[in-house]
Amino acid sequence: MTLKRHLDTPEAAINFDKVKTTFTGAGETSLTNMRANAMGKFMATGLPGPKVEEWKYTNLTFLVQFLANENFEFVKSDDYSAEVKALFDKAYIEGITGPVVVFVNGHFHSTLSSCPDEDGVKFSLFSENPEALRQSLADSQESTALNNLNRAMTTDGYHLEISAGGNLSQPIQIIHMATSGTDGQSLRTRGKISLGNGARAKVIESFIGPDEQRYWTHMISDVDLAKAAELSYFQFQLQGKQAIHMTELHSTVAEKAKFNGMNLQLGAEVSRSEIMNSFTGEYAEIELRGAYLGRVKQSHDIFTRISHDKPHCQSNQLFRGVLDEGGTSAFQGKVIVARDAQKTNADQSNKNLLLSRKAEANAKPELLIYADDVKCTHGATVGEIDSEQLFYLKSRGMDETTAKGLLVEAFVAEVFANLLVGTDEEKLQQRFTEKTSGWLSGEVTS
Amino acid sequence: MLELKNLHAAVGGKEILKGVNLTINDGEVHAIMGPNGAGKSTLSYAICGKDGYEVTSGSVLYNGKNLLDMDPNERAGEGLFLGFQYPVEIPGISNMNFLRTALNSQRRYQDKPEVTAVDFLKLIRSKAKELDMDPEMLKRAVNVGFSGGEKKRNEMVQMAVLNPSMAILDETDSGLDIDALKIVADGINRLRAADKAILLITHYQRLLDYVVPDFVHVLADGRIVKSGTKDLALQLEAKGYAGLGISENAA
Repeated sequence: MTLKRHLDTPEAAINFDKVKTTFTGAGETSLTNMRANAMGKFMATGLPGPKVEEWKYTNLTFLVQFLANENFEFVKSDDYSAEVKALFDKAYIEGITGPVVVFVNGHFHSTLSSCPDEDGVKFSLFSENPEALRQSLADSQESTALNNLNRAMTTDGYHLEISAGGNLSQPIQIIHMATSGTDGQSLRTRGKISLGNGARAKVIESFIGPDEQRYWTHMISDVDLAKAAELSYFQFQLQGKQAIHMTELHSTVAEKAKFNGMNLQLGAEVSRSEIMNSFTGEYAEIELRGAYLGRVKQSHDIFTRISHDKPHCQSNQLFRGVLDEGGTSAFQGKVIVARDAQKTNADQSNKNLLLSRKAEANAKPELLIYADDVKCTHGATVGEIDSEQLFYLKSRGMDETTAKGLLVEAFVAEVFANLLVGTDEEKLQQRFTEKTSGWLSGEVTS
Repeated sequence: MLELKNLHAAVGGKEILKGVNLTINDGEVHAIMGPNGAGKSTLSYAICGKDGYEVTSGSVLYNGKNLLDMDPNERAGEGLFLGFQYPVEIPGISNMNFLRTALNSQRRYQDKPEVTAVDFLKLIRSKAKELDMDPEMLKRAVNVGFSGGEKKRNEMVQMAVLNPSMAILDETDSGLDIDALKIVADGINRLRAADKAILLITHYQRLLDYVVPDFVHVLADGRIVKSGTKDLALQLEAKGYAGLGISENAA
């Protein structure tokens, strides 16, 4: 018997037929057809199975059952309940004054949100503007199985557009939360960020939910940066302990544009972050940084791809992982340098710190270089806490837990090095450090 | 204050200390000198409790308490400070954060309230100033990119802030130019007090020109083979270990 490359999920189609009339834009033929078409494609391919190389480190077999028993009971999202307020307070980063957009259980929450409102900035919610969703789906080129599933069943999301020369004057915080009552539910949303020539923006997307629920957050983002545009995009994952967290981000980066991506994974039982980027113009830059902290019953899978299709571009990837007893992780970083992408500069670094012999970190750098005048580096390490450093701290009076905590914080702090160009980034680092110490003492969402 | 009785210690199964006896009283400064391989660093690590330095027999009493039962951080909490021969670099942790965490850890151990951020800032700034350290260095990662002299000066700032009752300084003078040596000596002299004690471990006599010890001991092949006053250090300087009948390569 051969192992299947793909996993069939027959119940998913039946469920889709049951609930498709409730989706955003259900009355509109074009959007309805797009959803049905995407569902058809998903059913044809099925979920990627354990034999698929890209999914080697995250086995999706459990999702077959999840999709079969999926719970579509609508959880009202616009209540400003104590739970919603508490989750909001935990995810919201104080001191970053800017617009806030909140999605609760996959639906826009108007009470908590204050959408961007300034010249040159257009912000559309898919639930209020199905045409924006249709356009975003039409423009999105990706068609992996999970992307198709999201296309078919997405409930809400947004399109942030900044016109040429525009500037989102304050960073926007977008908070996605799950509440109680979402056990067995999928929360599927989409985001699109389009920056015109020379436009600038900072986006912080946070994900949070309760420990008691097993929900599946699934978000697809498309980023399009025109000439000399600059986007900083941060993902903060603080999901509940049983959550399944999957995000996929696709970016295209034009001439002299710059994409700064930061991906911080602390919560969830299973997390998978895909960050797929391609250069569409010369002299552009992509910087991807991230950190993931995992312990028992937690697995984090970071999957990046940078396609150097144009010459004279620069990419830099820096990821740090900390794994305690029972935690597993994977970093798969692919860099593809096309034949005529001369003078490419591509660096990749992935270091992992194991706090227990019963932890596992996988690192899989993959460089496919077809040009001959390029500078590409990669480095991956898996190590333990340095015993000399530990003794030094203990000799100064710190107990083992305090000393290790400080060393872990120091290890992951590297992802913020040379990035502190403004107070917003400092706030983010502060927040991350707080969450790291929270993680060390066993709490993520507190 | 500190009493070593017939201390034996092994590293990797090999016996390095072969019965060290030493008593240090309040207010005293002792210097231990000795050739390479005599066991000087092993002695300091065994007293401070480093992993891999196994005490096989004998006792170490500190103010009457058995140090050998304690973890290194507890020994520090009891008032013991080890000045490292090679201070460790710790990227990603600022000097400030490191020292504040250390000080408050010790205070928690001692059942004292933690020092507030403001009070700590005052304390560390005044100690850095006394020891002529650029305040900017307090914001930098612990020892990262510091010169040899800066690292040793940093050890002295740490010692001043933590204010131990007993300091063991392992070759704190090695690799220092004369200016740095004077600063380090100044740091040590500032700690001298009737209720404190200092153990200097050194290869050369020159530090003892600036920090005058009450007693000098010669450690060779894991034992104290000679004890005396500061004159013993001068004799060693003049005649060498061999001149006093002590083998350089006892091991």
